[in-house]
Amino acid sequence: MSGRRDREARREERLREEAGVASGERRQRLIKLASAAAFLAVAVVAVLIVIASSGGGSGGDASNLKEVAEVEQLLEGIPQHGMVLGEPGAKATLLEFGDLQCPFCKAFAEEVLPPVIENRIASGEAKLSFNNFTIIGPQSVPAGAAALAAGKQGRGWNYVELFYRNQGEENSGYVTGEFLTAVAKGAGVPNIAKWNRDRKAKSTTEEVEATTAKAEELGFSGTPSFAVEGPGAEGVEKLGTPGSSGDLESAIENAAS
Amino acid sequence: MKAPAEGTLRGIATFLATFGIGVATYITIADSGGGSPVCVAGGHGCQAVAESTYSHLFGVNIAAFGIVGYVLLLLCALLRGDAFRMGGFLLALVGFGYSFYLTYLELFKIDAICQWCVASATLMTLLFVTNAIRMLAYVGTDP
Repeated sequence: MSGRRDREARREERLREEAGVASGERRQRLIKLASAAAFLAVAVVAVLIVIASSGGGSGGDASNLKEVAEVEQLLEGIPQHGMVLGEPGAKATLLEFGDLQCPFCKAFAEEVLPPVIENRIASGEAKLSFNNFTIIGPQSVPAGAAALAAGKQGRGWNYVELFYRNQGEENSGYVTGEFLTAVAKGAGVPNIAKWNRDRKAKSTTEEVEATTAKAEELGFSGTPSFAVEGPGAEGVEKLGTPGSSGDLESAIENAAS
Repeated sequence: MKAPAEGTLRGIATFLATFGIGVATYITIADSGGGSPVCVAGGHGCQAVAESTYSHLFGVNIAAFGIVGYVLLLLCALLRGDAFRMGGFLLALVGFGYSFYLTYLELFKIDAICQWCVASATLMTLLFVTNAIRMLAYVGTDP
């Protein structure tokens, strides 16, 4: 009897040991499987990141700014003070009320304004003032503030012109800190840390809001809108959106005379 | 160090995932109305992040993927067995990895911080830790 009980006890102990070994092996196998799956999960995240970072296609490409040299060439040698381009003592002042996100403003900057800048601003006959009129969407405000901050370092017009030339689709989300910084660097803003502080300052946002309010007071409802001041003009003379460079030049001539 | 009881870990994961569903749902609803989440502490960070190009993947708000992820994590927390221990761990790993990337974008690309996104990233980090402990301590231990 005693021998039989011993055999049964040894058998049970052996079974327990075998079950323990099997359970340990299963656990090890599952942990190995989880490790392999974790590796796959990390790969999935990497793929998602690649897809997310390559998505978009709505313009405003911070990694590939266009026409940096063209903007530099257009504005070269013309004095800038804040957002005013041209000789401070020029008789006439042309005021632009624009939104950096506005595609019509971009077209104006590329096609209509360059002859005006070359013929009237560079010659010292008039000066050109950029005023934010943010009507496209919330992203227009940080964009406008970034231009004002660049203006504090004498590169405001370079910023505006370069922004327009690299503009993305309205309110598509391209106006990120990355894009604004790329434009600042392309525009030749010398102190990026100061520019960053300035563009985020409450006073800069208030300045953007103030010029928007001014445009509304003048009765403008679209961008770009223009006005002119000078000895030949009656106060701030509204021009609306002139059809050509010639119209703008005529208005400057009249205001300066 | 001894791991907490599996029931405790599952309870924590249930709480975190439920909270995560709430946060992700709020972001999704705020975005679907054409707006953006309201930053409780003020500022325009939530708006800037919601309007950035990074807020959508395949044309869908990332928070919507977040809802799906949190719901699956909740199921894994509520159910027993190795499949759910491993599933919870892997889901939380993907969520944690992507949340880490999104936080990097907020800090260095978008240049704005959205408190709701930070809340979700924190929840996902805690879910990852909880699920990792559960998986490592208890996988393969069922009789």
